Parts: sequence; C-alpha cells; structure tokens
Amino acid sequence: MKILVLNSGSSSVKFQVIETDLDRMKAHQDQTLATGLVEKIGLSDSRLVLKVPNRKAYTDYREILEHRAAIEWVLRILADPEVGILDEVSDVGAVGHRVVHGGEAFASSVLITPEVVQQIEECSVLAPLHNPPNLRGYYAAHAALPDVPHIAVFDTAYHQTMPPHAFLYGIPFQLYTKHALRRYGFHGTSHRYVAFRGSQILGWERQEHKLITVHLGNGCSTAAIDHGKSIDTSMGFTPLEGLLMGTRTGDMDPAVVPWLMAMEEMTLHQVNTMMNKHSGLYGISGVSSDMRELVEARANGHQRADVAFRMFCYRVKKYIGAYAAAMGGVDAVFFTGGIGENSPEVREWALSGLEYMGIEIDRQINDGLHGGEGEISTDGSRVKVLVVPTNEELIIARDVVRVLNDIMPTWEPPETVTP
Amino acid sequence: MISILNQSRRRLTCLLHSRAMSWELHNVAIIGGGMMGRSIATKVAQEGLNVCLKEISNEAVEASRAELEASLDHSVARYDLTNSEKKAILSRIRWVTQFDCAADCDIAIETVQEDFGVKRRILRELDRRMVEDHPIVINTSTLSITELAAQNSCPERIVGMHFLYPVTTTRVVEVVRGQLTTDEVYTRAVEFARILGKVPIKVFEMPGFVTTRVIMPLINEAMHTVMEGVAEAAEVDLAIKLGFNFTMGPLEWADRTGLDRVLNWMQHMHSESGEPRFRPCPMLKRLVRAGLHGAKTGQGFFTYDANRRRTDRLPDDKPRLG
Repeated sequence: MKILVLNSGSSSVKFQVIETDLDRMKAHQDQTLATGLVEKIGLSDSRLVLKVPNRKAYTDYREILEHRAAIEWVLRILADPEVGILDEVSDVGAVGHRVVHGGEAFASSVLITPEVVQQIEECSVLAPLHNPPNLRGYYAAHAALPDVPHIAVFDTAYHQTMPPHAFLYGIPFQLYTKHALRRYGFHGTSHRYVAFRGSQILGWERQEHKLITVHLGNGCSTAAIDHGKSIDTSMGFTPLEGLLMGTRTGDMDPAVVPWLMAMEEMTLHQVNTMMNKHSGLYGISGVSSDMRELVEARANGHQRADVAFRMFCYRVKKYIGAYAAAMGGVDAVFFTGGIGENSPEVREWALSGLEYMGIEIDRQINDGLHGGEGEISTDGSRVKVLVVPTNEELIIARDVVRVLNDIMPTWEPPETVTP
Repeated sequence: MISILNQSRRRLTCLLHSRAMSWELHNVAIIGGGMMGRSIATKVAQEGLNVCLKEISNEAVEASRAELEASLDHSVARYDLTNSEKKAILSRIRWVTQFDCAADCDIAIETVQEDFGVKRRILRELDRRMVEDHPIVINTSTLSITELAAQNSCPERIVGMHFLYPVTTTRVVEVVRGQLTTDEVYTRAVEFARILGKVPIKVFEMPGFVTTRVIMPLINEAMHTVMEGVAEAAEVDLAIKLGFNFTMGPLEWADRTGLDRVLNWMQHMHSESGEPRFRPCPMLKRLVRAGLHGAKTGQGFFTYDANRRRTDRLPDDKPRLG
C-alpha cells in the first residue's frame, strides 16, 4: 500500500510516500518512493520540492495561501505523468499525520474520527503552536482524500510509559488533575525509531536492554528506554525543558520567570518568546543557533561560542549520567538528529570522561562519521555508542499499517495516580 | 472499517462546514501609516496576511517605513519578536501612495486622524475602488459610523473597529455596528478580529464606545485631582497604578497616548453627549496649548527621554517581587 505521510507546520508541509504493508514490514522492505515539502505557505512565492530516488529534484513555485491548496498541489505533482510517482491520486491508500501533542488521551497511534479531532483540538491548549497546523494539514488532506483512512501518530505517545514519579512535577497535585500539567516528552517517534534501528544494527532485542537515545536537532531531547519502554525523557510539559537547544533555554530555575517579569517589566509573551526563540545556543553565543557555525566560531577563538558549545555538551552528559542512574546502568547510547548525526565534536565532548561508566569512543571513527549509520565506540567499550539517522516518517507509515490491521501497541503508564 | 470511515466522514464534513470562513481573507488595505496604522499593519502581517499600506506621499512612506522598522527593532530587543519574524512582517507589507491598491484587498481599514472630513473623503475613495461586499473599516473611538457611512454608495458595508494601541499586544478590539451595517459585514469584522487574535467586544454606536467612554472620565478626574492640589501628578498615578494593579497610571497613559489626542477625544465626546463628565480638564488644555503633548514631545505630566522612557519616576515606582 502506498502511504502518504504528512508533517504539517504553520507555513510548511513535509511529505513522503512510502510503500509498505505487513509483509514488507516483516521483511524490512519498506520503500520510500518520494520525499518533499511545500514551504512558505501563505506567501506568493511558495516552493514545492519533490525528490524521487535516482532522479533530479523537481522544484516549482506558485502562490499557495493555505494548507488545502498546498496538499492539492502535492497530490497533483505526485500524480504528474512526467515528474510524479503515482499513476493517479487514488493510488494513495492511507494518510499518516504527525501530530505533536496527544496529551494523556493518546498512548498510541489512532484512526482519525471526529472524536479524535475533538481530542486533538483539546490538546491544542498544551501545544498551541503545533497542534493547530497539524490539524489544518489533516483538514486539507481529508478534503482532498476523503475516501481513505487518516491516521494520527503522536510525538508524545511513546513517552506515556513514564511512571508517575518521572512525569509529575513537584507542584500541588490538584494542578495536575485540573490542567493535566505534567511532563509529556516529545520527539517520541524519533526516539522510538532510533531505539528500534539501533537495536536492530546491534542484533539486539530492544526489550532486553537499557538504552539512552539522544536526539540533537534544532530541538533536543534524550530518553531513557528501559527494556523497550521510555521511562524518562528530558522534554516536559512543553519542548522547552531539558537540554540546551538552538534557541531554547532547556532546564532553568523557574523562579527566573517571575523575577524577570518583575524586574525587567517583561510581559508573559516576552518571557515566553525570550525562552523559546532568543535563548539556547543563539542567546549564549550571540553568533548563531546553528551548531556548524558555532563550531567554526569557537575554532576561531570566539569565547561565547565556545561556552555555548560546552554548555550544550555538558547538559547532554548530565542527562546520560542521570538516565544511567535511573535505569541502573546503560547498554547503549544512540545519537540522532542533525547535530547528533553530523557533529563528531559534540559527540566526543558529551561522552568525554564517561569511561568509568564503560563508554569509550573511537575518536578516529567518530571524526569520520558525518551523517549515515555507524558504531563509534571502541571494540572494548562496554557500552555501545551508535549514530542512527532518524526516520520518523517510516514509523508513521508503519503505524498506519498497524492501525489498519488492528495490531497497534499502546504505551500505557505502568501505574496510575488517583487524587 | 468502511462503515466506521463513512460515519466519521459525514460527521466530520459538518464539523468542517461549521468552521468554514464566510469569505476569503488574504489582502488587507490600511490607509494611513501613522502610529495606529503601523501598529495595525504589524499585527495583520504578523498573522500571515498581506498588507497594502497607503501613505500620502513618497516622503511620508519613507518616514513611516523608518518608524516601523525602528519599532520592530525595539520589539526584537524586548524579546517580542525574532529577527526572522521581523523580516517576515516587513516582507508582507507593501507601501503605496495611491488608493488603487484597495481594489485587490478583501478588507480595508482607515487609520487617519480623528477628523470627520478626512475620514469621509477616504471612505469615498475606498468605496469607489473596492469589490462591493468587501468591508470597509473605520478605526475611530468617538466618531459616528452611521454619519460617516451615510454618503457612500454602499453604507451597509461600513463597520467600525476601535483598535487600542499598541495593537500588537492589546488583546481587545471594539467592533462597532453602524445603523446600516449588515449582519454579514459585521460578522466578517468579528472574524477578522479573531484572526488577529483579538477578543472582539461587540458595541453599538455611541461616542467613546466602551473603552474610551470609561477611561476618559478616569483620566479627567486624575487631572482634576492634580489641579485641585490633592496630590502631585506622580503620587496620583502611583496610587492608581499600585492600588488597582494597572500597568501604568492614568496620567502616564495619557502622556503615552498623546495629550493632544486625549483632548481631541474628550472634546468630541463632550460635544456629542453634552455630558459635563467629559468636559476636558483645563490643565489638559493648558499643556496641549503649550505644546507639551506627552511622551512624544518629551514632556507632558511627566518627562521622557528620546526613547520615550520616563525619567522622573518616584523611588517607590519600581518593580518588586511579591
């Protein structure tokens, strides 16, 4: 079955067409037929890029004012006799949608029904920047492909296995029951794929090992995966918590917020924007949120770029130590995301001094690995360290197959807490 | 599976239908690149809509553009915006000197000074060029929508919206129905307010609507309190600010709005309603006549530096935790 995978942002739609079904999944023969995106939705020079394996990338520009027109454009190009990969639009058998926040309502991927739409809308209060565009993408795709099933795959679902002592904040319990104010974690689909693929490379059963997955992109998070289940992750109620990121603070004493609001007379909006868009690598270095530019700047003696780099790596190291403690050990660390896959400097700094935990990396192999899969630990390293490029779209396509065949696993918490 | 899908689809279609907007909104004409026009343009562009901003001359365009860029830079420095958001906002604003741009716009907003004759001329220009059922918005706090609309060929598409400055952060907008405004046009104005992330307050046409009508007597009374020697201006402002958790006192608010504008509003409201509570305090008149218009001139009830920061705060007028 040809599955259209959509990741709809506020001004972009990323898409992939993946051919898969139960037999292909068992044989690991899922096939990506095309990838692409429409960007600058809402402007007069929106751009569509379509990449098909072994063909030159196709690019087109036109005015696309909203998601519906963007999805229609994508489908038209996918079925175009010259540049497309479908005979006709009806070849699409199902659509998988990335949805950022499923709250406590979704511990699994699901078929989208009006009730599900309603629940996703209710979760928008928890992810006001992400869930609404995800839903706009769904409305648009549903209008264009009303006769096929649409499945929602949530970033938060995989971390629903966190136990209460990991997902609760130390605030009055009533605030949790009233507002569902708790830690959710994000990048779940990525952590799930990387845990699966890393274990597969090592020839391991995921359910038998203690893994730490480290997703370092523009947003960064790490997860402790104990015998196949996420028992903790660094992002929390929002994607702001945890590691230092491109423009986000990561962990910070929450008392800073009221202090700034009082002393700098900052508004809620200003504090929120400051923490999400003006901080992190960019805020510290004053140079860039892009790790490549930071590495170059610190090589040229830029002190603030250097300290931003060190802060970034130090936080990763702290979380690896914390999660090894949480699981009572660690068997493997898997790096992914733009920085995790492409920055040997970050991997080396983040893991330096952890030899006592059994983590030893081969510097030569590490230095040579920019993108692509590979093991970077030494032969003698007790803990395996791998670089695993993420593939969230594959997980989404496979979940579509699982939901349609009623074999979708759910990730319920190990215990519940009642008031 | 198929029956579940069909059932889901039917209910979803209803859901989608109920959410559909009643008209397409992509391009917004704003007439006047003054403080309010720029502030509305910024908010509209921030929400992803295209703006066509009309000024009276190329010189006025350049001055207005420079002011807008400075104000966006200030927003970046205050963490309200990022540099890339600033660029996106500027990329969505097209500056023009002719009314013709309104022909392609789905809604137009006039933001010129509170002058009946000037506003009426602009409405005629817009009315002549815009598609018949596209709304024309009058941004006013005191003038009559009905009277302004009366001489237009389509008075029913004219509606009032009273934006409060700064439009980028103030959450409320009053949507004013004139005597002839149709339900459809009024609904579009309310939808437009929602698209801008505003809470629309539905009001009927009366001078001052809600916000101006309620705030003006407060400001006037604060001025009388100073004039009668009950307390110094700074003490009056601080008492109200701290006593009622206002972000600033009424006199500083008047300074920042512009004492000349405040006087203009009060005079309109006084002449329209005849109510003595709107009669401007003599102290306000004296300051305006002396050219002391508030923050923009550096002096009003208080003093301000070139960046419009107040320089004469009392020692107790400072933030504190708890």
